[in-house]
Amino acid sequence: MSGFLDALAGARPLLLDGGLGSMLIARGLGGGEAPERWVLERGAEVAAVHRAYAEAGADAVQTATFGAHPSRLARAGLAPDPEPIARAAVALARAAGAPFVVGDLGPSGEYLPPVGRADPGELALGFERLAAALAAAGVDALHVETLSDRREALIALAAARRAAPHLPVLVSLTFERRRRGFFTVMGDPLTAALAELAAAGAAAVGANCTLASSDMLDLAREARAALATPLVVQPNAGQPILEAGVTRYAQAPEAFAADLAAIAELGVEAVGGCCGTDPDFIAALRRRLRPLAGSRR
Amino acid sequence: MDDARLEAMRAAVRDGDAATAAALAAAVAASGEDPVAAIERGFAAGIRDVGDLWEQGEYFLPELVQGAEAMKAAMAVLAPALARSSAGGASRGRVVIGTVAGDLHDIGKSLVATLLAAHGFEVFDLGSDVPVEAFVAKARETGARLVAASALLTTTMGVQRDLARAVAEAGFDPPVRILVGGAPTSPAWAAEIGAGWAENALRAVAAAEALLE
Repeated sequence: MSGFLDALAGARPLLLDGGLGSMLIARGLGGGEAPERWVLERGAEVAAVHRAYAEAGADAVQTATFGAHPSRLARAGLAPDPEPIARAAVALARAAGAPFVVGDLGPSGEYLPPVGRADPGELALGFERLAAALAAAGVDALHVETLSDRREALIALAAARRAAPHLPVLVSLTFERRRRGFFTVMGDPLTAALAELAAAGAAAVGANCTLASSDMLDLAREARAALATPLVVQPNAGQPILEAGVTRYAQAPEAFAADLAAIAELGVEAVGGCCGTDPDFIAALRRRLRPLAGSRR
Repeated sequence: MDDARLEAMRAAVRDGDAATAAALAAAVAASGEDPVAAIERGFAAGIRDVGDLWEQGEYFLPELVQGAEAMKAAMAVLAPALARSSAGGASRGRVVIGTVAGDLHDIGKSLVATLLAAHGFEVFDLGSDVPVEAFVAKARETGARLVAASALLTTTMGVQRDLARAVAEAGFDPPVRILVGGAPTSPAWAAEIGAGWAENALRAVAAAEALLE
């Protein structure tokens, strides 16, 4: 169980997986359709993506439970019970054979005031149920990711720690690059928000989605300078481009891997990809990270 | 209306203070003063400030939403007076708006709806996850000349193309224009599907005006 924390603290960066939703879309998941439906109905497709990441050299694969907060399931027209989805998703991820399985928790889809009317207690309850289900299914760690409100992230982190006190909880916010620096869309500044999450007990803090790897390198530099807490960074494969009805991302695997290797050189403990990255990106990154073994720090 | 009152209206919107904005609007409505002046030189100036502060990186989503809410509160109070005033009586055009099928992200869309209404458009907001046929039916029912559709996901932005096609196939005369927006959209995408484009909620008003010229 502490194997994950040991790996996070180890001499070489932990390699996470890349995009899952975009891979499932490539396999026929409909636009706007919830990937969680495929966990229940087309598990073999989900398992194939996890396996491809494990074969590309990922140390950890993350479960297809990004949208499994009960509020989000309800909005997607699914039964708002995260338990069967979590159980199936963990089994599919475990079958890939990667050393670690990380339980994924995305945003609730509801917004706290003043932007929305979400009730903090209800958000917490949903995260707690999902985290408990993932823990019961045997994940090695939990990852709260792509949150744009530091308050929701703190709620999710506390809920996850209540539900699974024995598991490390990673927390990634999603930042935009604004004129005065990196902020969430809610206005949370990078280092202050991450420091608050670290103080609240996150095993690692960081950023995923929205930004391309070159911007993420600047972000990682700022975060590393300010924080001793382990960091986790998962950029997108550049910006999305829609061509002939098909979405693709602007960046090639090698350019992504070069930036991510530079991020790892800063001492960032866990790296991987988000939207638009695929096993080729993770394989390219694996090749670049290998020489770091034993030489880091 | 003296400058101090106009400045107070502007500040109420800029600071996202809906109660104060509504109270200032109520005073205008009660006195029989020109509501258009209060909107143009007071409240709408505040929304422009919000936009500037957003561009400068000082404001974020909560401030945008609160500014739009304050604007909406003032507009709701002024609506009857606006309908009576000669200048404000004529709508600047009818707009049907919503997020496309499969997309539940309606914050940006709701901001656009509020801002369009504040600028004198008659807005029919269909909410989120709106089927293509519902956009077309509402445009037919209301005689709207503009349909505005938001998509926040790369997976749902393709529906904007379906919408543009459906509107073209419906054969509206005069033609109904399309305005698209949302994080994954771009000018190139809008051009490809034959629509207008707005980079963000605050730019949508000018884009709507340009399309309806």
